[in-house]
Amino acid sequence: MDNETKQKINKRYERELNRGERFWPDSIFKDLIVSLGIFVLLIVLATFIGVDAQPKVDPSDTTYIPRPEWYFLFLFKFLAIYGQIPLLGKIEWLATVVVPGIAILILALMPFIDRSPFRYYGKRVLPISVMAVIVVDIVMLTIMADVPTVTENGSMLPGILQAIAGMVIPLVAIILLFLMTFVFRRTSTKTMIWTAAISAVLTIGLTGSVLALFPVPAAQKTTVATTLVDQITAGQDLYSANCTQCHGDDGKVTKIEGVKGLEGKLIPAIHSTDVLYTLDDAALAQVIAYGRPEAGMTPFGKTYGGQLSASDIDNIVIFMRYTWDDRFEAPKLKPLFPPLAAGEVPSYAVHIQPIVKRYCLSCHVAGKENNNFLMDSYDNILHTGDHKANDVIAGDANSYLLQVIQGHPIPDPKDPTKTLIRAMPPNGHLPPNVIDALMRWIMAGMPQTAADAAKLSVTPTPAAGSAGTPSATPTP
Amino acid sequence: MWKKVYEWLDERLGLNDLYKNLLDRPEPKGNWWNTLGSAALFLFILQGVTGIFLTVYYTPSPDHAYDSINYIMNGVAFGWLIRGIHHWGATLMVVVVFIHMLRVFVTASFKYPRELTWLIGIGLFLLTLGMGFTGYLLPWNQQSYWATTVGTQIAGSVPFIGDFILKALRGGPDLSALTLQRFFSAHIWMLPAALAGLIGVHLYLIIKHGESNFPSKED
Repeated sequence: MDNETKQKINKRYERELNRGERFWPDSIFKDLIVSLGIFVLLIVLATFIGVDAQPKVDPSDTTYIPRPEWYFLFLFKFLAIYGQIPLLGKIEWLATVVVPGIAILILALMPFIDRSPFRYYGKRVLPISVMAVIVVDIVMLTIMADVPTVTENGSMLPGILQAIAGMVIPLVAIILLFLMTFVFRRTSTKTMIWTAAISAVLTIGLTGSVLALFPVPAAQKTTVATTLVDQITAGQDLYSANCTQCHGDDGKVTKIEGVKGLEGKLIPAIHSTDVLYTLDDAALAQVIAYGRPEAGMTPFGKTYGGQLSASDIDNIVIFMRYTWDDRFEAPKLKPLFPPLAAGEVPSYAVHIQPIVKRYCLSCHVAGKENNNFLMDSYDNILHTGDHKANDVIAGDANSYLLQVIQGHPIPDPKDPTKTLIRAMPPNGHLPPNVIDALMRWIMAGMPQTAADAAKLSVTPTPAAGSAGTPSATPTP
Repeated sequence: MWKKVYEWLDERLGLNDLYKNLLDRPEPKGNWWNTLGSAALFLFILQGVTGIFLTVYYTPSPDHAYDSINYIMNGVAFGWLIRGIHHWGATLMVVVVFIHMLRVFVTASFKYPRELTWLIGIGLFLLTLGMGFTGYLLPWNQQSYWATTVGTQIAGSVPFIGDFILKALRGGPDLSALTLQRFFSAHIWMLPAALAGLIGVHLYLIIKHGESNFPSKED
């Protein structure tokens, strides 16, 4: 740029300054308004949307689908689309390094590439329309980032459509725009704007149809216990499902009974200070994760082939601490189910499911020794088991289930000296209010939903889940 | 009385000169598009302030990072608000910086005499993305762990030096306590220091050359 042009630009700027405004207060005033608006917006977002709780890191869980922060999603999608290209798609670093690197280099060196002194939009149609095409593409790639490139039945169609929308159309448009500027020099500004606009509309339209044709698979909703009360409750449920068989529901067991292969094994009582004072949280978590294979305890952590995630194990440790460790004071826990009023009939959804989850599911799921009586769903409770005719009978107090939970084993009808079903649960007793709830539920005909139960209730149901009423609900 | 205090301060600090040189400057007629730069600066300061608050409770170790964030969200008074602002502020900062760049590109404000301002601006944009990338790992949850695993893998796909970059980022072949420590250090010391320095130069250049005018047919 020669000195004459520079002087012209500076003179022109001087003229703009003379008929302009003052930095203070004119510009600052607008700046402050925008900053204040942003601040308010952030408070609103933090208050009403907040930050999603995520499960803790679990390096062993390789099934987790990685998802970058949203502003990198377009690069992610670009990589996925690029990876489909035959042959070229195998050379990963072209897309991960070379393309973004060149793009950033061009952007950074813009003032040295575009050396013309012109600033007016009409004299800069090429850079502005190329940028518009790219920005539309970036936004569209972000929007369709969650649509997979291959459908479940192996169709490549979504990937091909995405490639056309996110790669082919913008690329063709950009090449056309360059050709118009440097090869067919006489192209009018209007044609170039139309080219950019049409490519943008096509990209947006195709993205829209990709989204309409191939809906984004619903993300798995994982609930994460974050408050102490939720963590203790989650831990207690997990403890009940995984640990009670050997350790008992209060951790007092020192001699295992009724577990195949471990019968009569002596173990330390895990509720004792010997265990809780000498092992810190990390050590307890490690014992649960790795187990004590030599002493008969199998691994429970996913890392070692078990079922529990790192978050699950942490919750069990928290449950143990706040339940048995006298150095920790437990917060007030919610009752397992809303207390029942006189004449009120419990329902599966509100009352029985939490009870079953805590007290029965450790054994009554597929793959455990349980006479094939599965309790993991409403239908299974009613229709599974070797003795399904007698297990749960509407309105009959002689239902096996009701008998065994009250401590009466069922004798074998063919040989009365043998027991058909032991008293349940095998070690310990259910709290009275739990027995009462199960009794009322079966006597009333096993209603599934709260609405069904309300119809069967003798007196109108008081507001369910009323907090603060003292109840005999088990506190751990 | 106040006048005397002001005069005493002015003699030593040069308040009048500051006012003349920094605030009482002429500017071309602007509009709301001109507020994006100051909005980005405001967000940077806000991220700094909320970030400093977060470091009071945050522990950058694999054993405690997750729990410390959980404690910030549920145990600390208004911790959820501070973290919420920091979380959403990061998102907004990327958006604002990007739109700011687009505005400068469209009005060609990067041309003479503001070439260096643009170059530094691109640096600021990349550093902002770097802040987002490093900050994403710190909560040490599944999402951040696996996103960083893939992100560092991508950085490691550079031919020849990829393996070195991967190990330098992770502090070893795999994500570990070292990676978390490294990202934490980058997130609270290296990148913010670089950002603050470049922002200083960026602002100096803006005051030196003045805000650019919106182009008219003459430009």
